[in-house]
Amino acid sequence: MKIVLQNVTKAFPNRNKKIKEEVIAVDGLNFEIPDGKLVGLLGPSGCGKSTTLYMICGLQKPTKGKIFFGEKEVTHLEPEHRGVGLVFQNYALYPHLTVKQNILFPLQNLKGEQKMSKQEMLEKAVAAAKLVQIDELMDRKPSELSGGQQQRVAIARALVKEPRVLLLDEPLSNLDARLRLQTREEIRRIQRETGVTTVFVTHDQEEAMSISDIIVVMKEGVVQQIGKPQNVYDDPCNLFVAKFLGTPPINVFDGKIEDGMLKIGDEEIMALPGQQDRPVHVAIRPEGFIPCEDGAFSGILRNIEVMGRDCSVILENEKCQKETVRAIVDSGIDIKHDATGRVRFNIKKNKVFVFEAETELRINVEG
Amino acid sequence: MTDKKNNYKAWLYLSPALVLLLIFSFYPLINTFRMAFLNGYNGLAIVGGETFEFGIENFKTVIGNVDFKQYLKNTVLLCVITVPISTALALLIAVALNSIKPLQKVYQTVFFLPYVTNSIAIGMVFNAMFTRVGVGDLIETQGIINNIIGIFGISPVNFVNNGSTWGANMFVVCTYIIWHALPFKILVLMGGLQNVNKQYYEAAKIDATSKARTFFRITVPLVSPMLAYVIITSFIGGFKEYSSIVGIFGETMGPAGSSGQMNTIVGYVYNMLPKSNLGNASAASLILFAIILVVTAINGYVSSKKVHY
Amino acid sequence: MADRKEFVIKDIDVAASMRNQKTANIIRLTVIYIFLTLMAVMMIFPFYWMIISSLKTMEEYRLNVPTLWPKKIVFENFVMAFEKAKLLDLFLHTLYVGAVSTVLSLVVTVLSAFAFARLNFKGKGIVFGALMATMMVPGELYTITNYLTVSGRLPFLEESISWLDITNTFAVLIVPMLVSVYYIYLLRQTFMQIPNELYLAAKVDGTSDFKYLWKVMLPLSVSTIITITILKMMGSWNAYIWPRLVANDDAHKLITNGLRGASFVTEAGDTNFPAQMAAVFIVSIPLFLVFVFLRKYIMRGVSRSGIKG
Repeated sequence: MKIVLQNVTKAFPNRNKKIKEEVIAVDGLNFEIPDGKLVGLLGPSGCGKSTTLYMICGLQKPTKGKIFFGEKEVTHLEPEHRGVGLVFQNYALYPHLTVKQNILFPLQNLKGEQKMSKQEMLEKAVAAAKLVQIDELMDRKPSELSGGQQQRVAIARALVKEPRVLLLDEPLSNLDARLRLQTREEIRRIQRETGVTTVFVTHDQEEAMSISDIIVVMKEGVVQQIGKPQNVYDDPCNLFVAKFLGTPPINVFDGKIEDGMLKIGDEEIMALPGQQDRPVHVAIRPEGFIPCEDGAFSGILRNIEVMGRDCSVILENEKCQKETVRAIVDSGIDIKHDATGRVRFNIKKNKVFVFEAETELRINVEG
Repeated sequence: MTDKKNNYKAWLYLSPALVLLLIFSFYPLINTFRMAFLNGYNGLAIVGGETFEFGIENFKTVIGNVDFKQYLKNTVLLCVITVPISTALALLIAVALNSIKPLQKVYQTVFFLPYVTNSIAIGMVFNAMFTRVGVGDLIETQGIINNIIGIFGISPVNFVNNGSTWGANMFVVCTYIIWHALPFKILVLMGGLQNVNKQYYEAAKIDATSKARTFFRITVPLVSPMLAYVIITSFIGGFKEYSSIVGIFGETMGPAGSSGQMNTIVGYVYNMLPKSNLGNASAASLILFAIILVVTAINGYVSSKKVHY
Repeated sequence: MADRKEFVIKDIDVAASMRNQKTANIIRLTVIYIFLTLMAVMMIFPFYWMIISSLKTMEEYRLNVPTLWPKKIVFENFVMAFEKAKLLDLFLHTLYVGAVSTVLSLVVTVLSAFAFARLNFKGKGIVFGALMATMMVPGELYTITNYLTVSGRLPFLEESISWLDITNTFAVLIVPMLVSVYYIYLLRQTFMQIPNELYLAAKVDGTSDFKYLWKVMLPLSVSTIITITILKMMGSWNAYIWPRLVANDDAHKLITNGLRGASFVTEAGDTNFPAQMAAVFIVSIPLFLVFVFLRKYIMRGVSRSGIKG
């Protein structure tokens, strides 16, 4: 079932009571989550992504705007009537109940037509446990489980009542690096198997990119861009999105357009015909550098980090907005610097993005 | 600094406390056992140089004593009545307090008020509230409590005056003990409730858990350590009950004409003291100690089964 | 999950459901506030009754239909309370005993807590364990022997030595009560929260243990010291059993004992409740002041443990 957010705004009273002005956590959100997709809400902390999740869930109500589940408006509906499953960041498993009791808990609340027999409930619980592969831990208490196992129990508890929407709040943030990789695959698999519309919140762009069908990038309560992860990565609409996606992060330079030419310092990166002369931000993905002795771009070689297949070339360029530039090249290539210590590169055009200096909006260079 | 020097210094720091504890705690502990197990010990040398025989006569005497049986019954009953009622009431109040925002601090302050009181003095106030003034047919006022229950059509009860029944006395004593016990319990349970992670309630809400089920399946288990704590402390306090009753009835430990009607185990110990029935007093105090140990042990056992984490 | 039957949003009229929710919420809150208010009234009522009774004339107190506010406010009950119960004497005795015991008790407590928190010495664990174990033992067990000891009966000697008899002195009210294992525990916990690095730094600078205790640890533990001071003062103010037993003479009587023992019987032979309530009120005033101004220190002591001062 699809979820539609129409102009959703959430304002909180200021924590400092003396200030009357409200804090806008989410501002005029408009987007549609298609049925059966895995959607990642992505952004730095404080960008309103968790608030958005809580509003979809119903624990918080929007100040303005509407939320639809399918064709039905649920804006002010209490969470218990929405048929959602939520996995909390710290799982919120009831510490005094066993895994089985935790998973059974939502089923035991069902009333009226939905009420199930004990046998039915148990079957459902076991099915949910099997789905997340914890059926052998049913009689343990949460405190006897590892973080990853607790996570699975929390997902099973959320899924057992067969919700129409599964919501996950920072599902991987409490896991160590190794488990994180494994668990995100797990979430992907579970979502595919159940086909339930799933929304999860994360501040980790890699996590979002790797498993989402669609990502929603947010900043300061405003949606920046929505799309398939690869599309957003390849075609960021503004500097923030370009910077936020990708590891290692994109390299940003103070550049300028002069006589139809994009320049970093005096080096001419590529032709931009028909553009007015003005200062711009130039962003180049680390994989966009090709070592070439007469390349357009150069930097002073600082270090080379070999990491198996690839290696990172660390450069210094005075126009770079950070101290160093990072280029990723095949480790087979021999990096040579000239007498002044500079290394030269050609730049892949599709890895270069140009943004307005003031608004930081993308300048469309194709047309 | 050498270890030896450190050792000697530490003992120096500890010496005032240790000396006092040796004289006023450890020696009495041993001496109580000694006195309890010397038959008929009265603290005075027997003329002719005989000594008291070792034995359990004192315990037999105490347990066989009609008064002691009555006092034991009083003590056990007031525990059994007041502990569950005051704990349940305190839990209800704490949950109610925890669910409101405006005026929460004001109510909390009011509920803490009886904690900082003198139990003898306020016992006297309870006595005044329950006492009818006047004699026989010349009753002038029935006392405020009788006036209040009169509003609901209940005819006046002789709660604490001459000739009042054991049941009526027990009612007054239990009312006072419950009233006096609430602040501490509310405070501890509030602390427990406020430490419960709000997300458990959010999770329950998403799963459409009813309020009653949330209370019994989530709230109660999560504050069960605090519940166990207030139950055990109030049982111990209940078995040592004495001054509340002195507050209400004075040292006669009962209404005029039936003194001792409300007396307790501790009261028995103090009754024996001036009479130099030291053996009996010691035996009674050891029985009290044993009861407290047993109650603590039972509670510990039940807690380990029922209390979570 | 093969046969998924989708969770169907029932055709709830959202607006109506919101209205219902709102109504239910209002009802719930109303019930909660009524319950809390009712309980709060019960909590306060004895205090209220004490105060208004102390301001009534005897005639008004005895009215068949009670007045909820004195028709005529009189203060003569307070005068009578001071006279009949000799409240001023009692007050001075209690203040003296309270002040001296608090100061001495603090010295003993601070020294022991420091040794347990900071110094390493042989047998520390055993000694600390033994001290903690005494908290389990009901005080009545000690009282019997301590009563003998202060009457001049040396250990195991079945004879009184009259010059060792210190009953009916202030010392007997102070010395046996000086050490409280609970206070030592409380202060030790506070001391242990002070980072060890501070101590080591002071050692490197050549600061003596005593100076470190005085200049660093005590200033950092002021709030616990205040808590102990209040609990100890309140302890003297509320003490009944021990003072009643060992210092019941007019020259050394403490206030609670004096209050309970004072006779407010009129010429007609019944109790003068307004005067008695006035006395109770006077005795309660210092506790009210503590409650109003120093509540948080007591609450801090309570939340760490349920043992009352």
